[in-house]
Amino acid sequence: MNGLHGIIFSLEKLSGLRELTDRRMPGSVPFAGRYRMIDFILSSMVNAGIADVGVVLQGNYQGLLGHLGSGRDWDLSRKHGGLKLLPPFSQKEIRGRIEALAGVRTYLEGIRQSHVVLADSDLIINIPLDDVYQRHLASGADITAVCTGNTDGSPEDATYFKLDKDGRVTQTFTALRNTEGCHRALEIYILSKQLLLDLVDECISLDHYSLRGAVLQAKADTLRIHGYVWDSYAAQIRTVKEYYDRSMELMNYAIRREVFHPQRPIHTKERNDASTYIDPDGNCLNSIIADGCTIEGSVENSILFRGVSVARGAQVKNCILMQDAAVGRDAVLHYVVTDKNVEILESRTLIGSDGYPMVIAKGSKV
Amino acid sequence: MKKECIAMLLAGGQGSRLYVLTSDVAKPAVPFGGKYRIIDFPLSNCTNAGIDTVGVLTQYKPLELNSYIGSGQPWDLDRLDGGVHILPPYMQEGEKGSWYKGTANAIYQNIGFVDMYDPEYVVILSGDHIYKMDYSKMVEAHKAAGAACTISVMEVPWDEASRFGIMAVDGNDNIVEFQEKPKQPKSNLASMGIYVFTWQKLREYLISDENDPASSNDFGKNIIPNMLNAGEVMFAYRFDGYWKDVGTLESLWDANMDMLSRGDLDLLESSWPIYARLPLKPPAFIGAGALVEHSVVTQGCDVQGTVKNSVLSHSVVIEEGAEVLYSVLMPGVTVKKGASVRYAILGENVQVEAGAKIGESPENYDPDKWGITVLGPGASIAADQVVTPKTMLNRELKEVSR
Repeated sequence: MNGLHGIIFSLEKLSGLRELTDRRMPGSVPFAGRYRMIDFILSSMVNAGIADVGVVLQGNYQGLLGHLGSGRDWDLSRKHGGLKLLPPFSQKEIRGRIEALAGVRTYLEGIRQSHVVLADSDLIINIPLDDVYQRHLASGADITAVCTGNTDGSPEDATYFKLDKDGRVTQTFTALRNTEGCHRALEIYILSKQLLLDLVDECISLDHYSLRGAVLQAKADTLRIHGYVWDSYAAQIRTVKEYYDRSMELMNYAIRREVFHPQRPIHTKERNDASTYIDPDGNCLNSIIADGCTIEGSVENSILFRGVSVARGAQVKNCILMQDAAVGRDAVLHYVVTDKNVEILESRTLIGSDGYPMVIAKGSKV
Repeated sequence: MKKECIAMLLAGGQGSRLYVLTSDVAKPAVPFGGKYRIIDFPLSNCTNAGIDTVGVLTQYKPLELNSYIGSGQPWDLDRLDGGVHILPPYMQEGEKGSWYKGTANAIYQNIGFVDMYDPEYVVILSGDHIYKMDYSKMVEAHKAAGAACTISVMEVPWDEASRFGIMAVDGNDNIVEFQEKPKQPKSNLASMGIYVFTWQKLREYLISDENDPASSNDFGKNIIPNMLNAGEVMFAYRFDGYWKDVGTLESLWDANMDMLSRGDLDLLESSWPIYARLPLKPPAFIGAGALVEHSVVTQGCDVQGTVKNSVLSHSVVIEEGAEVLYSVLMPGVTVKKGASVRYAILGENVQVEAGAKIGESPENYDPDKWGITVLGPGASIAADQVVTPKTMLNRELKEVSR
């Protein structure tokens, strides 16, 4: 048990994920064959020895509640502490993370640990947070902000930092055109519980709601904010194309090794699927296949989630098929992303392109 | 709290006919079917049948089995009242106490445990069998027959009947005679070693059997014949699903291959799920040069080579150019570049270095000398080494004879 308490924000955000976030929050979006996006940051916390995690919920959080349950699959179903789901406290609009935190102020007061790590639910990362925490303590910083030097493909709403030679954040930007020399924030922050409470109180008294605006930008001089640079895998997925590209990137061994780091396994909700069966007529190449699948057709360069069936003669290429998809005989799918429980009937042909994959919504029968 | 029915699962045997596969673990803990271990079948059957209290009697090298079962949560057997309980032999006052002397003695020594739940019926199971069965139906049949004991039976081919414990029955399927491996079988109904007893009756017979110094304290040899001879009502419950005793290397291999054919034992069919405890692993990856046919892969596998007619448990790595045919690979096995594994069972964490050749297909070998090749858990086969068919090697690479 260490001095860190985890807080994950599952707040509504402008999303280009279209059907994938229809009736679900970004943290609930299935990823990598058997996970939901929130599993990654949650596992990073658990693997760092964090025993208490609060998830601040907003919007359509039904799916997330069902997925997280009591927290048992992340070893967070405890006698004291463990996982706490924090639904919205009031009907008032939540305009930013500070307001979200103000809404759970009583919970914040009850935190048993000395420090808090804040993170977003849809950051896909496998990071040793215990190391980030140790560096925070050693540096004497008020706030440690995890960031990356890799600014390619940054989301539109990204935050950027300028770090001095000692790693201190001297400026915070948003909507930056020229990101050269800057680091992109991964929106993971470590600070003391006391400082968090003080900042929340101060901001609310001034009707400030943005963590970025009211704290990172406004207080760059009065607070010592340090950057922890993480240049390994980190994905902030905001569009369908990014979702597709980041998923396909997992075919690469080096990337898989970073995401599924052997010493820091990713926890997720267990399902009772049997091992996957590949038929003599089945064909499977360069693909990620979860348990419980039956493959009688051809699957290439694709990701199959748990329980997917691909019937004889079907051709699945460059696709992402989420849980329990059923692809009928002789169907042809190229560059298609199917959400949960989609049924593709016999001989149907669906062709997207790598620039614009076709997304089929949950439960559709095509 | 009183329960109508509890189950007692005999998991104490050494499984000596699995040789190196049980050198470190009890037989019920041996991996099966990719994702599972043998004990997952009786445990899951209990859960699905609504039996929430299961005593698991362990004795031989129980460490892995005990850790695997834990609090029983994966099988939904972590309950406020009841749940799964590991029951090892124990000492009593005056330094008295003994290892379990036989299957009946194991239950005898745990009369106290059973009495805690004061059940009407006790289901006696073994941890050696692969099958899906609804025990609640067997208990219903037991009640309807007014029996003291109900034995689950399967029809076997007449020419094989002499290998089994045979139950001869009357027109109501009441057992009239019991023949152990008879030369002239009077019926082709073989006992599956699964029993339902009315507890108060079984309790009496266990006590009197314990007081008989000539007894082997075994259900099949003593309790059942004693009850039959005393005129108790014994019912034969017919079962016609898939059932296999995986007590030998050949039957373990066969049962894995049966599972692949997805006939009567279709594990992907989810109306009667089999539960298991698994480590956290990413989904399997099948590479660009891989060829996988009529096989099963599990989480954590990385397949870059050829796999046909085989069963891969979790975390198995098959490198490029490696070939695995008609084999059963347990968790953590690695088969390196250019190596070949044919008609073999590889225990947990076996490492097969590049170019090694394990076993051979029967069509390419002298039929008199051919057999399944078995490598015990932890064995590491050096590069280019050849292990001939029917060889069995332990962790130290010493040959073990059957």
